[in-house]
Amino acid sequence: MPSAPSPKASLYVTCVIDQLYPEVGVSVVRVLRNLGVTVDFPPSQTCCGQPLFNSGFAAQARQLARRVLLSFKDASYVVVPSGSCAAMMRVFYLDLFDNDPVMRQQANEFSSKVYEFSEFLVNVLNVTNVGARSAGAATYHPSCHLLRELGIQEEPQQLLANVDGLEMVDLPNKETCCGFGGTFSVKYPHISEGMVADKVENILSTRADTLVSCDMSCLMNIGGSLSRQQKPVNVKHLAQILDREAS
Amino acid sequence: MPQIKTQDFFNASALSIKDPELRQALQRVGTGFDNARREAIDEVSAEVWEQWREAARQIKEHTIDHLDYYLELLHDNVTKNGGQVHFARDAEQANAIVADLVKSKGVKIITKGKSMVSEELSLNHVLEGLGTEVYETDLGEYIIQLADETPSHLVAPALHKTKAQVAQLFTDKLGVPYTDDIEEMARVAREVLRGKFLAADMGISGANFLVAETGSLVIITNEGNGRLCTSAPRIHVGITGMEKVIPSLHDLAVFLRLLPRSATGQRLTSYMSMVSGPRREADEDGPEEFHLVIVDNGRSKMLADPKLRESLYCIRCGACLNICPVYQKVGGHAYGWVYPGPIGAIVTPSLVGLKQAKDLPFASSLCGACREVCPVKINIPRMLLHLRQELTENSDPAVNSTPAWESILARCYTAIMNHPTLLSMGIKLLKLLQMPLAQNGRIRRVPFAPLSRWTRSRDLPALPKHSFREIWRQELSSPNQSDQ
Amino acid sequence: MGRQSGSAPTPPYLHLEETLTQLESQAQELEQRVSDNREALLSELAETAELRGWNVCRAANPEAAITYVESVVTGLKVGQVVRSAQEVFDQVPIARALQNLGINVVAIARDDQQTRDQLRNEIIASGVGITGADYAVSETGSVVVMPRLGLSRLVSLVPPVHIALVREQDVVESLDDVFLLRRLEYHRNGGDMGSYLNFITGPSRTADIEQTLVVGVHGPKEVHMVLLG
Repeated sequence: MPSAPSPKASLYVTCVIDQLYPEVGVSVVRVLRNLGVTVDFPPSQTCCGQPLFNSGFAAQARQLARRVLLSFKDASYVVVPSGSCAAMMRVFYLDLFDNDPVMRQQANEFSSKVYEFSEFLVNVLNVTNVGARSAGAATYHPSCHLLRELGIQEEPQQLLANVDGLEMVDLPNKETCCGFGGTFSVKYPHISEGMVADKVENILSTRADTLVSCDMSCLMNIGGSLSRQQKPVNVKHLAQILDREAS
Repeated sequence: MPQIKTQDFFNASALSIKDPELRQALQRVGTGFDNARREAIDEVSAEVWEQWREAARQIKEHTIDHLDYYLELLHDNVTKNGGQVHFARDAEQANAIVADLVKSKGVKIITKGKSMVSEELSLNHVLEGLGTEVYETDLGEYIIQLADETPSHLVAPALHKTKAQVAQLFTDKLGVPYTDDIEEMARVAREVLRGKFLAADMGISGANFLVAETGSLVIITNEGNGRLCTSAPRIHVGITGMEKVIPSLHDLAVFLRLLPRSATGQRLTSYMSMVSGPRREADEDGPEEFHLVIVDNGRSKMLADPKLRESLYCIRCGACLNICPVYQKVGGHAYGWVYPGPIGAIVTPSLVGLKQAKDLPFASSLCGACREVCPVKINIPRMLLHLRQELTENSDPAVNSTPAWESILARCYTAIMNHPTLLSMGIKLLKLLQMPLAQNGRIRRVPFAPLSRWTRSRDLPALPKHSFREIWRQELSSPNQSDQ
Repeated sequence: MGRQSGSAPTPPYLHLEETLTQLESQAQELEQRVSDNREALLSELAETAELRGWNVCRAANPEAAITYVESVVTGLKVGQVVRSAQEVFDQVPIARALQNLGINVVAIARDDQQTRDQLRNEIIASGVGITGADYAVSETGSVVVMPRLGLSRLVSLVPPVHIALVREQDVVESLDDVFLLRRLEYHRNGGDMGSYLNFITGPSRTADIEQTLVVGVHGPKEVHMVLLG
């Protein structure tokens, strides 16, 4: 049961989902609406600025951060289906505006409204079972920012455990980074490749047919390697597993 | 100063990542040390471990915030104990201090315990240049001294070497019959070095901690070489970075609980030796002179920058190296200087120059595992980000390392993301451009950098027909229209 | 290093402000706690020390201790042992027993510079070094020795075997206990607690080659802890 009558969630969809995996965004909306949440999508949103921030372009990142703050100024809950974008907004916006007390104040207020998708379901809506069904075996990869910057560990696993018919298999060395790291993956491709190769090896050892995560950037990385090697493992965002209407 | 090869990181790491023997050695590090660390933590419980970490961090935070005060207190108490304190601004000065002692005291033979700071100074080469015999006595350091290499790990300097490589080294350099039996090799080292320990005029050690309250130097060791270096010769010289001081002997306890467990999973090392000056009149043995050389060598820069200051909390346990997936792939030498791994990435720029070490802060996926295992809770990822900003945004050309194309790309990206009409035009263009490359929703090859570096081993998703925001506008924006 | 003198922290650092009286009172609490828990601490010490690689012998009385030392020394077939000059040897007179077995026992007793070198040579020539324990720490399974008159640094380090005789009253619980008592000593003496202190926690070891453990490198390969009482 939702904790408030028809809570209002403003969706921050993330560039990767918006442009490359829109079906994930659709699933997010459906799952939230099925739980009685009113969802809106402030159309002025674009990139949260993380790729710029991680590459040292703090001034440029600040421009995009201002845009985000403006786009969501009327939001009650900002729901983000990505651990890394949510961490950027909740944690690193405060660093970005270290020297600007006015913006820092805004970033602070904004920060308290930002929820990663699984966190929103479990900790705000108090829901761990959305009534989803699936089949086969899946394994879960906890993305680094989700796990370490946001401290979100149990929530996705609780939601997955309650998916009827889905067998969850533990991923060996699951907490080891998949090697994406944004521009790291193309700045040091040999190292990134080594890391994703280890991740793929661990995934294949589970014999799961699906890899689930809360970050499409990780899934783009791991999925890109899996499909290049023509391995029969699907990659899915948590929202897609929970979406009763996703095939 | 040892040769700085930090600028070769990309090439060095590309080579080392393919080295099969190094891979095997690094696998031992990843599983061995880290598993042992976790076991040691489980034994005391996660709650207790967190309490210790927090206590240690607070001690370090306090001390570093008042570093000059505690260094003065340390100086006074070491002097009161009959020791002599020498402050060295840089490597040259530190080396000169030790060289002067060697010359004025007629030192011919030196035995040396492990000291990463002495690696910063290339001290051994300086002393050998004076005609002194210098023997590294920690087994790992002894091996790399024979091999004329630098350490590849903070705690296990020779971890990159297989036993066969060590066996060959011993045969070549010591003339002993070839054996790759590890116990036998340790026995050879014991035999060779025993005579040196007892003949040495001077023993040089590092320091894990310096206790300001009592003017003491603390080393934790396993082999016994540290004790021999600080007990047998007539002169003991301790060389250390200025950040090693802690206020009171009371504080030492929590660090002794954290450091061995974090480093190798040991509850405590075989030995903890605390030196409080030269021998007293009534002592049966021990050095007649104790000299403490406290080295700055760039640490003031970290101290002065509030965003880098916490890198001075480091107690050199190596846990961040052991957990780092990048270190586990490329090993220590690729980092190109004394300190490898995550801690190396944040201190090396201050010690050798930011621009020279420009690759190191970027050679990380920012996964944050290092921060999680650090016994003093250093926020390494935050400092990596800070250094990245420095390298990218500093207007001083001596520091700024961003290639022009990257700056242009970043500005274009920002402009596009700030103007959704530009964004949708850009996406339309990309959809056109991707047509020859996209097949079944995938792009297998992009013929130019940087994306070519991705597609050489990974597929990319092709841009779908409609973006999410288009679908939202068309179908989802009002719940009546959604497919519920 | 060319910087200004640092200003003292405000408020002042707690442990640097403790007075002698406060330290003494903490030490008294320590003594009380340790004496109340003596038996438990001895058990914990024995258990932990064994885990750390000590050979542990619980000797009900001095005779049992002597018997144990005899068996270790004769088992090793050494010709000479060296011992420190600590109080415990009054309680456990091993010298006579070993001499009766034809083993030379050198006691540390030096009176001039020349004898320092001679003593060193005797230690080098010895197969076993025997000391008491200034402290024995149950938390860590350690023996603490503090070199001074009658107790050389090398006696527990150079011979390949070290035997430590631990009396009930030497046992404390934790690292904190040892450091409190040392601080008390330091401040009582106007700022001196001796030149050196060693925690010994098992035999010498290394894992520097392929991370494979080898016991006995530069320090003793074999260590024995004899717990009296």
